[in-house]
Parts: sequence; C-alpha cells; structure tokens
Amino acid sequence: MVDDPDRRGFLKVATCAVGGGLGLAIVVPALRVCVAPTTAQTVTTPTDPIDLGALDRIKVGAPWQRIDVIAPVVKDAWTTEHDVPLGGAWVRRVADRQLQALSSVCPHLGCAVGWDGKGFLCPCHGSQWSASGALVANTGPAKRDLDPLPIEIKDGRLRLTWVRYKLDMAAREPA
Amino acid sequence: MTMRLTEWVTERVRALSDQTRLGIPGGPSLAYVAGWVIVMLLGVEAITGAALSAFYAPSTASAWASVAYIKDQVPLGWFVRGLHFHATSALVIVTGAHLVQTAIYGAYKKPRELVWWLGLVLMVLVLGFAISGYVLRWDQAGYWSNHVEIGITASAPLAGPTLKGLALGGNDYGNLTLTRFYALHIVALPGIVLLVVGGHLWTSRLHGSTPRWGHDGLAATRRWPRQTLRDVVAMAIVFAILIGYVISQHGADLAAPADPGAAYDARPLWYFRWLFELRHLAGSMERAAALLAPVIVGGFLVGLPLIDRSPDRSPRKRLPYIGAVVGLFVLITVLTLKSFATDAGDEALAKRQAASEMLASRARALAVANGVPITGAQDVFKTVPMYTARSIFEHKCKGCHDAHSKDRKGPIIGAGHGNRAWFEAFLRAPSGDAFWGRTKLAATEDAMKAVELTPAELGDLTELLYAQSGASDADATKRARGQAIFDKACTDCHSTDEGVAGASGPGLGDLGSRDWYTSFISNPKKAVHMGTLGEMPRFDGDLTIIERDAVAGYLTWLRTASQADLDKLGPL
Repeated sequence: MVDDPDRRGFLKVATCAVGGGLGLAIVVPALRVCVAPTTAQTVTTPTDPIDLGALDRIKVGAPWQRIDVIAPVVKDAWTTEHDVPLGGAWVRRVADRQLQALSSVCPHLGCAVGWDGKGFLCPCHGSQWSASGALVANTGPAKRDLDPLPIEIKDGRLRLTWVRYKLDMAAREPA
Repeated sequence: MTMRLTEWVTERVRALSDQTRLGIPGGPSLAYVAGWVIVMLLGVEAITGAALSAFYAPSTASAWASVAYIKDQVPLGWFVRGLHFHATSALVIVTGAHLVQTAIYGAYKKPRELVWWLGLVLMVLVLGFAISGYVLRWDQAGYWSNHVEIGITASAPLAGPTLKGLALGGNDYGNLTLTRFYALHIVALPGIVLLVVGGHLWTSRLHGSTPRWGHDGLAATRRWPRQTLRDVVAMAIVFAILIGYVISQHGADLAAPADPGAAYDARPLWYFRWLFELRHLAGSMERAAALLAPVIVGGFLVGLPLIDRSPDRSPRKRLPYIGAVVGLFVLITVLTLKSFATDAGDEALAKRQAASEMLASRARALAVANGVPITGAQDVFKTVPMYTARSIFEHKCKGCHDAHSKDRKGPIIGAGHGNRAWFEAFLRAPSGDAFWGRTKLAATEDAMKAVELTPAELGDLTELLYAQSGASDADATKRARGQAIFDKACTDCHSTDEGVAGASGPGLGDLGSRDWYTSFISNPKKAVHMGTLGEMPRFDGDLTIIERDAVAGYLTWLRTASQADLDKLGPL
C-alpha cells in the first residue's frame, strides 16, 4: 500500500503542485511590483516651453552660453518638485530676433557637453563638435550633431522646449 | 569543562567538526588563504553596509545630503564609509588573484566545475555591488558614471531599452532610480551573494582543496588549526592594508551634488577602466567593444573547464590555457594603466577636475555649516548668506557697478556704499570716477556740481542724507542743521520730502532705505528718481518684487559692511 507507485507518483505531483503554487503566489505579485515602473511614465517633465529669462541676457554675436533649463514643476514618482534642473541648453543669438539652442545632453550616452572656447566637448568619451554643433568626425563615439532644441521669444522672454532624444544612434528620435 | 562543552557542541553540529577535520593535501599553505580572505571582506562590506544603511536616505533630494552627513558629521562615518567603498577594490583584487591562481592550478577541472562557475558568478556580483553602490551617493561622479553604464546597457540589442527602464524605474532618472538601486544593493545582491558563497564553499569542501602541483596523493592534514592560523593571519594583513589605505585617502570621495546640466568628467571605477580604454581604442566599433568584450572574457572563463578537460593539471601540458588566462590578465592591466596614463597627461582635464574638487569641497562645507535644504542637494549652494540678492547682483548689476568691471557705466557699488564717508566723498565730487564719472550725465550741463561747504557744514549735510535711510545711529542735532543747509542750498534741484521729485534732480526722501532701493531698481527712470537723466534700465519686468526687495536688502547691508565682511560671505 505504502509503496504503491501510483500513490507515490500522486504524492510527488501533489507536493510539487502545492509547494510550487505557494511559491508562485508569493513571487509573482512581488515581481510584478518590481517590474511595474519599467514601462511607466514615472518622471513627468513639462512638454510646453520653459522660461529661460529675459531676452537681453543673451547678447547678439556673443559665444554660446550655457543656461540651466529649470522646470517649474516636475512630478517624480510620489513627489512634486518645483524649480528642478532638467539639464542645460547652449544658447546663442545670431541676430536680434534669431536664437539657436543646443541640448547639452551628449547624443552618445547622455553626459553633459561642455564648451572649450572653440567647440563643444563631451568630457566622458571625448566626442567633439564644431562651434555650430556639427559632429567632428573621428573624435569620439557620438554618432550625430548636437541636438537642436526649439527656442522662441515671447514678450521679451526666452522660451525653450526641453526634449530628450534617443541616445547612441545616428537618427534623431524623441525618447 | 571546556572539553565537555566542545563535545556537547560537536555532537550536535556534526558539520562543524567535519570542517575542522577537513584535509589539506600536502599540509597547510598560504596558497589556500584567498577564499577566507574574500569571506572576511564580504563580512566587512556587510557590517559597514548595515551601519551606513542606518543613515542613508534614498531619494533624489536627500541621497547626497545623507552621504555628506555620514562623511562629514557622523563620528567615524568617513572611516566606515571608506572601508565600505575601498573593500570593494580589495574584493576585486583578491577575487581576481584567486581566479588567476585557480586557473593556473587547473583547479576548475572535473569535478570542481561548479566551484569555478560559482566563483565567477561571485566576481560578477562584486562588480554589480560596485555599480549599484556608486550611483547611490547621487553626486556628480556616481550620477554621470551611471548614465554611461545605463547608456551602454540600453544600447544592447533587443533587451536594452527594457533593461534601462528596469534599472531607472521608469522613463528617467528620479526617486525610483535610487530606491531600486538601493534595494538591489542592500537586499537582492546580498541575498544572492549569500547563496553563491554558500554554494561555492559547500562544493569546494565537497571536493576538498586542489593540491598544489606535485602534492597530489600526499597525505592530507587537518585544516584546524595550522591552516586556519594562516587564513586568519592573511585576513589580518589584508584588513590592515585596507585600513591603512582608507586612512591615507581620508575615506571615500564625494563629488558635488548631481547636476543634470553641468558637464562632469565622469570616469569609471578603476576596475572598469580597461573597458573604458578599450572603447577609446575601438573607435567606431566602441559600442561592440563595450558590449562584446565582457561577453567574450566571461564566455572564455565560463568555458575554460569545458575546453581544458584532460585530468592532467601539470602546467607543462596546459601552457595554452595558462597563457590565455595570464595574457588576459596582462592585457587588462595594460589597458588600465594606459587609461590612467592618458588622463594624467591631459592638462585641460586636470584643470576641470581641480574645479570639480573645489565645487565638491564647497558643497560639503556648506552642508556642514548650513545643512542641506529639503528641496534638494543642489540648493546647498543657495544657503550662502543673501544668495538670491548676490547672484542677481552678480549677473545683473556687476557689469555696470563693480569696481573691477571693465565696462562700468555707473557708480561703484561695494562695501560701505551709502555710509557717511561715501556721502561725504560724493558731495565733494559727484562726477568723480567712483560716482557719476562714467555716466553720460556727468558730461552734460545737468550733472551735479561739487558741493562747496566748510567741513562742519559738509558733515551736517552728510548726516541729513545718511539719515534718510532710517539708519538708527543718525545724529538728530546734526541732521537738523543739515536740513537747514539743504533747504538753503539744494532745493533748487532736490527735495527731501518722501516720494517727491526735485525740481530738476532726484528726490532724496528715504534715500538709501530698503524701500527706496526697491523703488529705484524697479524703475530708475521714474520722475522721483532719475527721470530722463538716468541710463540704468528698469528691472521690474525682469526681476520679481521679491527679487528686487532681496537686492535692496543686500544694498542696505553693504552700507554697514566692510570689505572683510564682504569677503567673509564666501563665493557664490
């Protein structure tokens, strides 16, 4: 009776089923919680233009100037924060009403790009860009020019739209 | 008594007594100490980590602040954090050496493949601790290094973007990034390490130590106490070196708080430097290099017991394998050294790094002196006295008003601006270089003429003007005499009635008070101020009333400040 192979087989299956079911019941919800944020929008930054200050802070013909892009409000998981730096924009004024802005986010892996007086340089892996933001070939791993950002003048104020692009590819696609 | 107690325990914990009887083939040797040194170092990490976790606060606003607090304000905090950080370096060195040693001995051969593989997993876990721990400090170094690491991960085919979302806890760096890496660092990885170390020890005990060459078949001696003594001495030596290093480095570094906008020369931890260098060398193949090199190296090490299968462990018959492992080790060392040499020769980099260090020590000093605002570690820089006013002055006012500005267009504004000495000097020479000298007004007929009075009269008039600010130390008698002089000599152009413009010059009522400054900064061209005579632009559009008031407060502070007071404020 005790060694009945059918009975033993049933007991094995039952043990594995109950034990495994118990394990799954514990692990599945825990794992589900852990992966939940993976595809979620956990950090919400403004998509409309952000105020960068008065137009006169940039003089016509002056070299590129780094301006912190400060979001008035950022929602980050359970917090709402005010005046949060999102990154930097390199801005210059080519003519009275004509402005250019480049994202300081390196199109390679996202380090902040600096200005060395003649061109742009990424301190992480040495990619370089000309004074117009064009990629200098064979200097580093970046695959495209610095990303331009939409900038406009409204009521004498600079207004910039902050966009993050996908990294490490030649094409420019919003992330 | 002791004997009976030992017997009582061993009777109940058979495994323990088996451990002490375990054989060491060919007798004890320093060659067998690595395993226990690694266990000791993991213990150091666990204990120091537990202590640190009682202080660390994983959120974007508080992470840096809590680490700075541990480093600079908790007694011995710098030491415990230094041990925690540098013990990882020691772990990389010792596990690396243990790995090379095992490979050379051929100790991965059947039946010890599992021991070898679990050891490799342990090595990967150590690197996982390093990566997950580095970002937790949320300083410039950890923040930007993590960008690179996650960027490389994200560029992996297929799973890349998902892995990135999994690591960051969403679409961007934020609070969840920190809580996730923290959970990984203090719960998930330690749990896995416990299992792996347990498995590694268990399987290696199962098969016993691999004898050194030529010791095969020799009688085994008990581990306890002769080998155990060697183990303990080796642990003590490694720990002593670690402590010496931690003290010499004053613990572990902490850079300035993470700043998403500021360029920072991120460098990986030294044990990842070979990959960093490899990427540089690989040029356009860098993405492949970053992803493939670890896979190739890992694959080779994992496959070693499967390719080198003959039971013979003698080095002469295994030269290609020993050569490959040693060659790999040499290559990694050379790449690492080359990476450091490249940086050492870069003067521009050294300058930028010096600036970063300055910023870091300022942030830490401010954190100690003023605490870190709850709004975020970046705001620690705003805790300097009169930050808002001074930074506005720096950007909006200095160009025209600083003594050292090349483009100065107006009167110098500095320490003592608007005190008695300042007024007296002004009255003597309103168009002097330090006053209206550089204005367009000074060259016109409308410019104020020098006041010619006796020194006593000048002192009285000065007192009247000085008193307008509401200064509490004004002398009423002198002021009254000054008013008499003013009514006789100055009212052709000026008035001291509050809010009333002079006939042709600015009204002087409340001159130098906080409200007067706010009004003047808001619109200097108002009739009561400079009217059409002034060149200074109005700031009521550019600055909020709170900001204008803050600047006004700073200007009134300057009246009683000396240059030494000004210097004491420290840099912005």
